[in-house]
Amino acid sequence: MIWIGDVLVSQGEGGVYNERMLGGARVWDPHRSKLSALYHVGTGIDLTPGMRVLYLGAANGTTVSHIADYVDVVYAVEFAPRPMQDLLEVSRRRRNVIPIMADAARPEQYAPLVESVDLLYQDVAQPEQASIALRNCVYLKTGGILVLMLKTRSVDVRKEPAEVFQDTLDTLTSAGLIVQESVWLVPYHYDHAAIVCTKPEV
Amino acid sequence: MESYWFGDVGDGCCTLFIGDSSAIADRVRSISASMDSFIPLEWEQAVLCGACRDRVDYLARLQAVCIAAAERSIREQYSRKDAELLQMVRTLDEIDTVINLLSERAAEWYLVRHPAFSRKYRRTPAHVLVKTMREKSKGALGSVAGEIERLAETRTTLAKEVSARANEVMPNTSALIGGLVAARLLSHAGGLLLLSRLPASAIQVLGARTALFAHLKTRSPCPKHGIIFQHRRVHNAPRDIRGKVARVLAGKLAIAARLDYFRGVVAPEFLVAAQERIDVTGRRGEL
Repeated sequence: MIWIGDVLVSQGEGGVYNERMLGGARVWDPHRSKLSALYHVGTGIDLTPGMRVLYLGAANGTTVSHIADYVDVVYAVEFAPRPMQDLLEVSRRRRNVIPIMADAARPEQYAPLVESVDLLYQDVAQPEQASIALRNCVYLKTGGILVLMLKTRSVDVRKEPAEVFQDTLDTLTSAGLIVQESVWLVPYHYDHAAIVCTKPEV
Repeated sequence: MESYWFGDVGDGCCTLFIGDSSAIADRVRSISASMDSFIPLEWEQAVLCGACRDRVDYLARLQAVCIAAAERSIREQYSRKDAELLQMVRTLDEIDTVINLLSERAAEWYLVRHPAFSRKYRRTPAHVLVKTMREKSKGALGSVAGEIERLAETRTTLAKEVSARANEVMPNTSALIGGLVAARLLSHAGGLLLLSRLPASAIQVLGARTALFAHLKTRSPCPKHGIIFQHRRVHNAPRDIRGKVARVLAGKLAIAARLDYFRGVVAPEFLVAAQERIDVTGRRGEL
């Protein structure tokens, strides 16, 4: 990961969302992107040039554009038409962003398009976040990494975020994933947690 | 055999699919993969197939296909009749907010210029006050009042359009509760499909989100009605049976929304029976 002082940046064409530029690189704001927040509060995972990434819940393509600066290809899945319009604009400017308009809860919809990936990144506002992640693990290589940005309030507003967090960790562990890191994203995002898992060799 | 976007692969051989980006997008949509026995695609197969030269070429072609597919999905979703109605009714409600905010502010400003003026003991409707302010004020205040009046005219036009469009897009729901309120229900649900999938109990409290979540989190009483309060049978009903009327109305609205989504035309026999049921429930309280 590229740091200039304590500012996280990525190398690429700027102006995606009027982000600040620093020494010719794009500043990756932890307040806007949960992945950047993970690098600030925890360890995260090292993005390398050969990586293939499946990104669920791509939204407007803000975080997607930063990841794309680091890796080989990002398959960006988004369901809603409005953010998809923005994501398409990002894809037209970047050769390694593949926009897929489909429901992340139904991975069979994009089976003919997506190859095996090294990193599965998920940031979806759905109640069934853990099960969506597990269903998409078919695309993850063994030894690959799952980064789940858990929106606890989307799972159940009536439950305590800490309880949702623990339940999700249990679900992932019992499905055979190995949790490497799990942190809350405060002070950048509240009621949001990041969970980093690896898919073990069978 | 596995089907991928560029062709079918199986038994060591590969059948290339010939067609442009949009033809391939069609093909992708028609492929139904089973996740149980699924083998993720390997891009090298596409080269063997003759679909592309190398990885860069592979990604460029795949991206073109995906962009074409996504553009078409977006167009399809936006061409549904309810997509525009949604924006129209939200604009309408926002114009209302803006008119109120601006009128309040302009009135405060006007008071400073006319210290002797007061609205107490006068039955001046807001639009008359705005007119007075426009006529009696010089400079920016006068033109702000003028803008409020213009905005109010736009609002009237838009309200008629919303009503007409709602009658067309959701004839049954509109017949039961009126075009404007039907459109507001649509706006809160997020679309006709979503509205038709809602249970009656959810339709009953659409628009009462704060009260509903206060109820779920604390011990406060649950809301009896949301937007459907705007129906005369609900707000005219005596307090003790208002919840009951709201429940009956919501039940009929849930059926109406489904008729609107799946049938799309007026169902007269349903409307007569539903209206009857709602009226009977509402009237019982009057006796």
